[in-house]
Amino acid sequence: MIMKGQKRKHPPEEVEISDRSSPMWESQRQLVFSVSLNKYHHGQELPEPSLRRSVLIANTLRQVSLEAFAAPSVDIEVSPPPCSSSSALHKSVVTAKQHPAETFSNSHSALVSCPTVTLNDLSYCVPASNAPLSLKDEDEDWGSLSKDSDFSLSAAISSILTALDSTIDSCSQAAPRTPLRSLENLSAPSDGGVAWVKQGLRGYGGGWEQQEEGREWESSTELMRCSYLSELTVEDLFQDIDTSLLERDMEVLGLIGSGGECPTGDDLLRYLPPFSSSPSHPFSLSLNQNLKCLPSLSSFGPLSSSLPSLSSPHFSSQNHVREGLDLEHLMEILVES
Amino acid sequence: MLSPIQVLCSDITTLSLEPEPFASYTEADIISTVEFNHTGELLATGDKGGRVVIFQREPESKCEPFSQGEYNVYSTFQSHEPEFDYLKSLEIEEKINKIRWLPQQNAAHFLLSTNDKTIKLWKVSERDKRPEGYNLKDEEGRIKDLSTVTSLQVPVLMPMDLMVEVSPRRVFANAHTYHVNSISVNSDYQTYMSADDLRINLWHLDITDRSFNIVDIKPANMEDLTEVITAAEFHPHHCNLFVYSSSKGTLRLCDMREAALCDKHSKLFEEPEDPSARSFFSEIISSVSDVKFSHSGRYLLTRDYLTAKVWDLNMESKPLETYQVHDYLRSKLCSLYENDCIFDKFECAWNGSDSVIMTGAYNNFFRMFDRNTKRDVTLEASRESSKPRAVLKPRRVCAAGGKRRKDDISVDSLDFTKKILHTAWHPTENIIAIAATNNLYIFQDKLNSELH
Repeated sequence: MIMKGQKRKHPPEEVEISDRSSPMWESQRQLVFSVSLNKYHHGQELPEPSLRRSVLIANTLRQVSLEAFAAPSVDIEVSPPPCSSSSALHKSVVTAKQHPAETFSNSHSALVSCPTVTLNDLSYCVPASNAPLSLKDEDEDWGSLSKDSDFSLSAAISSILTALDSTIDSCSQAAPRTPLRSLENLSAPSDGGVAWVKQGLRGYGGGWEQQEEGREWESSTELMRCSYLSELTVEDLFQDIDTSLLERDMEVLGLIGSGGECPTGDDLLRYLPPFSSSPSHPFSLSLNQNLKCLPSLSSFGPLSSSLPSLSSPHFSSQNHVREGLDLEHLMEILVES
Repeated sequence: MLSPIQVLCSDITTLSLEPEPFASYTEADIISTVEFNHTGELLATGDKGGRVVIFQREPESKCEPFSQGEYNVYSTFQSHEPEFDYLKSLEIEEKINKIRWLPQQNAAHFLLSTNDKTIKLWKVSERDKRPEGYNLKDEEGRIKDLSTVTSLQVPVLMPMDLMVEVSPRRVFANAHTYHVNSISVNSDYQTYMSADDLRINLWHLDITDRSFNIVDIKPANMEDLTEVITAAEFHPHHCNLFVYSSSKGTLRLCDMREAALCDKHSKLFEEPEDPSARSFFSEIISSVSDVKFSHSGRYLLTRDYLTAKVWDLNMESKPLETYQVHDYLRSKLCSLYENDCIFDKFECAWNGSDSVIMTGAYNNFFRMFDRNTKRDVTLEASRESSKPRAVLKPRRVCAAGGKRRKDDISVDSLDFTKKILHTAWHPTENIIAIAATNNLYIFQDKLNSELH
């Protein structure tokens, strides 16, 4: 209902867009994708979501993803369909239906079980170009602002977060834990990987400097992570991690600085996988460069003051390089754009 | 022209024919199903609170030949209570999903009511006489002192105030893993079926401890699930035939004589998709929300999000007729998807002669389509427009920004919270029951009544 004195705005979706080459089609597709993702997660939070609704949403997600893959004007390289977010979500939907009482855990385990969601795939998800995003109007709905790069990164983030969930689900199949997942759990549980990502985007520079996009990211990934991490503590997630090998490295890396009372710093190092005696990793040369992205880690509360510079001489030794391998590798993937 | 003979409120404590300011209602009062019995004398409604209210039509008074029989409350009872599934730690809603009457075979009436998991058979009977003159008990029921009894008397049935007794006769439980969406009584009057999202079970009305699974579309791997059952109904005359609809817009006619498990359909009714009309929401809007056999048994009426379709049982390739219920929503599908309205399940109904079909829409509008004249009308079920004996005025929805006549309503002004999901048509007369959230409206065709 338009109140008197208010200017009518042209409704954004007056026309049914069936022309794939139209730019509106792409934006609508992304909107539908994000809304569907949202709905899926909200549905999972319900004690017993409607099966019909879940199936329809999952089918829509799958269709939207397939159309993205088939669309000729798509700029981004999307990860191969066999394990797109939609199919992963679909699996989670239908798996969840088996045991409604375990919807929370089962859905996540099903998502994790998607075999092709790996770091390699995530590298495809970042936009090919570094074109800066245009400044959006602040009063537009976040969902309608998603562009190609936002969309792909949101897909990447969701994949990361879903990969995270194998640790949540105690009943799940044994899912391989990756370093990426461990980093995701660094901060306080309520932050998850979102703040990290946000800061990472900001720290990178280029087209990511606008606060609006950061907020969009936060809101989009917020929804995804809330359902995964809201009720868990970091300790719960990593009860099975052997920390003995890593504790000494914490000092070396300087992450336990003065006093060492940095719970998040402890978490960071506790969960870095033990390094092997492998030869120098090809990434080591770019370590310093990549670690410059690591200012994102400074967003983790108490850690901020105790992360002087990760490109400090602390990293000069081979061992320390290897320790940071997984760390910088995932950073590279997520932040590279 | 339809005139309202009565405007009822589902909260019977405030039942009144006088229009009242619209009071706030609780969610439990929302009507979730409406069903006339086979004679049209009784009308049952179920609500989200698990209650069933039965209305009875008053016989038309001979003193006033043009007075229309009004429906008054006959009985109210609590059919289902909220339950808790301890195994899954989930609460089972008491909302009545469907009510189906059994054909009357004696003085009592029987109906089936179901929530998500349990179906119950209720007996509704009247008691208007009671025996008086017992030998061992006095009028208040106290045991008499035997020494005062000097002679024997035969108790005599004396009239009393009418009392309607409702009692549960059968409880059909523990047969559905998923949510029951439909029940349908077979024409053999001995069996009925219940359908949930993935399975359909066949029951005998007298046997509660087992049912027979006749359709199972659950895939071996739930990850492959892409389609669910949305509605099911037995053929009105052939006790071996039934139809079920799916979320993908297909209808499957099954013959129970062919196989014990009717996963393989006898006929598949599906309209090929129009490629030019394809959108992201094509599948969602094609999901069939209701399916009804015509009284003749020759046709099927289906409702999907934007249309109502009449199918001929002899033609599977495409519907016989397609009626646009609210095509002005086609450009709003994205918004309707966001606010979940696109998942609303509208029901549909035939009139007694299968010449007119009816279905609900938003803004408390409902639509009727005459199959013969191809005319259609949009009417509104609201207190303001439904004063007793008033004639309903046809409504019109105009496109946003389009040319607007007086009293037209713009698409952007539609209230999507007011939706007519449940409607019912009297089996023989032009009397319709419309459930609008927590209110029940009963309308009658004035023209026809004047011809009597």
